[in-house]
Amino acid sequence: MRKFVLCIACIALLAVPALAADTIKVGQLAAVTGDFAAYGTAEWEAVKIAVEEINKAGGVLGKQLELIMYDCRTRQEDTVNAARRLVEQDRVTAVIGPNGSGLCIAAAPIFNRGRVPNIGTLPTNPQVTVDESGRVRPYNFRICFLDPYQGAIMAQFSAQDLKAKKAALLYDVSSDYSQGQREFFIRNFERFGGKIVADEGFRGEDVDFRSQLTNMKNSGADVFIYPFMGKSLPLAVKQARELGIATPIVGGDGYGDFMWEIAGDALGDTYWVSHVDRYDPTLAGFFESYQAHTGTECKEFLNGVLAYDCVYWLKDAIERAGSDDPEKVRDALEKTSGLKLMHCVLTMDENHDPKDKDGVILRCDPKQQKALFLTKLRPE
Amino acid sequence: MNFTLSTLIQQIINGLSLGSVYALIAVGYSLVYSILLFSNFAHGGFLVVGGYACYFLLTQWGFNTAVSMAGALAASGLTAVLTERLAYKPIRERTSITLYLLIASMGVNIVIENLFVITVGGRIRALPQSTFPTGVFELGGGVTVSASDILSLVVAAIFLVLLQLFLTRTRWGLAIRAAACDLRTAGLMGVNVTFLIGLVFFVAGLLAAVGGIFLSVRYSLYPQLGSITTKAFIAAVIGGLGSLPGAVLGSLILGLAEMLTAGFVSSQMRDLVVYSLLVLILLVRPAGFFGRTASEKI
Repeated sequence: MRKFVLCIACIALLAVPALAADTIKVGQLAAVTGDFAAYGTAEWEAVKIAVEEINKAGGVLGKQLELIMYDCRTRQEDTVNAARRLVEQDRVTAVIGPNGSGLCIAAAPIFNRGRVPNIGTLPTNPQVTVDESGRVRPYNFRICFLDPYQGAIMAQFSAQDLKAKKAALLYDVSSDYSQGQREFFIRNFERFGGKIVADEGFRGEDVDFRSQLTNMKNSGADVFIYPFMGKSLPLAVKQARELGIATPIVGGDGYGDFMWEIAGDALGDTYWVSHVDRYDPTLAGFFESYQAHTGTECKEFLNGVLAYDCVYWLKDAIERAGSDDPEKVRDALEKTSGLKLMHCVLTMDENHDPKDKDGVILRCDPKQQKALFLTKLRPE
Repeated sequence: MNFTLSTLIQQIINGLSLGSVYALIAVGYSLVYSILLFSNFAHGGFLVVGGYACYFLLTQWGFNTAVSMAGALAASGLTAVLTERLAYKPIRERTSITLYLLIASMGVNIVIENLFVITVGGRIRALPQSTFPTGVFELGGGVTVSASDILSLVVAAIFLVLLQLFLTRTRWGLAIRAAACDLRTAGLMGVNVTFLIGLVFFVAGLLAAVGGIFLSVRYSLYPQLGSITTKAFIAAVIGGLGSLPGAVLGSLILGLAEMLTAGFVSSQMRDLVVYSLLVLILLVRPAGFFGRTASEKI
């Protein structure tokens, strides 16, 4: 009996690679649990939709795409383990996600050692694609713009559109994402003649910011800057308004529609840098199929749109490479130029970052409980 | 009111409000510790059960606030009793080493957290805005206090007073106090120990649910919400594990220390300063403020 079972197991093992050869394996790392769960779930659904669409239309190079998703749990150690599995055991062609900079940076050595390209959906820290010594990480790519860019947009918007002179910052001391945006905001805001009057920190898992907000209130700032993400955002907005602070709040691309549930009307007079306009007609088709697939609205629209476009970018690269060999796909990703995707026209620069993307400013409207398009900006 | 004084008052209000939430959770910890002499880390799980029960009763089944809260209390209480029966009782009957209970409780906490991740998903939710008062009161000089702060302080106080009355004025309260003195002797004197332990867990579960509901109202609801109980546990240790007044005092001290350090020293260095201070307190008073003995602590 034991021998029989062993035999079956051997046959099964042999059969797996034979089956796998008919598909192109695409890995995905998404934070389906943990602090970024809302963002990660949207990315997972969006990637599934794109893969299904591509497979229905005949696949890539005549092969079907096979999606292998692991939950990275919004934790660096889980991301590293999952990345290792994708590279070493599943032998995927490329990996899409995760969305956070800290998570991407943690997994970067695995992808570069294993020579598998990784496309970050929303990691905006410079070090995702360029290491500390300034060398480009050969296997890391991203579809979004960067924190210096975001920090500059936040500073320019605060100084020019909101006419702010004094800014108070609240940032997450345990996050690369937050630290990066803060640094570039300060640099640019001072360039516009503004002054930083308060600079307060908190730690990622904190839920109470009132003591920091009290100090920011007393600093006499005419704008509050929130360069962080996750549930801290709506909580910090709500608590500020509860402390009687009516100052406008400007944040990075952490905005998600889930914030209305927590902060509600407190979101009035808040402004968020974004990569896309939720109500852009070219995106409507995607949101409809998301609704049809999942039965829910794509509240974390940014993650949905960018993750979806990552799959089409990868498809284009595999086609140009003429192969699902990770090395050749990497070369093709690097040479991406003028690729028309759903949300942008994509061209890679020498650092594996997108060139010349517009930043969008969204304004929260409590009447409609939505973040509406306000203006488009490119840093001066 | 001058500028710095109003800031100080605001930060004290912030600290007391945070401390009152810690207190509700810390008391539950201490209650279980006082009887079974182990730190029940599954307490965070009970809190999450309470939060979600309230959320679903309100939003899915459309019950009113009072019914939903009562349902949440019952759900948490029963979860706590069930946990004791399924996970702790078999261990208790086989060994007297409380370390195993402690480890089992960590396991239960992870199980509960993941049950919620799988069944309802990891996304962050909030209890409907209209169910609890959300107003803000201006106290003059720019000092504000929110309705949810006052409410959580009042409810925490009511529950703590009720608990104190239960412990001092009822026969079962007397039995619990006797058991806290010495569980085995209480058993020999005719107290039904199995029922008593179940009762203690039920009460701890109720308190966890109240904490869970208030955390969900003030912050938000997600499967890892229970992790805030780490802070409450620390508060219970400072106050002296097993002592209920100690748990309340420790919680208020921790809440105030966090807020005042962030407000007047440095928000970046807050945890470093606050927790170094706590280590110092424990060096001077190893059993906390109201602790009984230091040797039995885990």
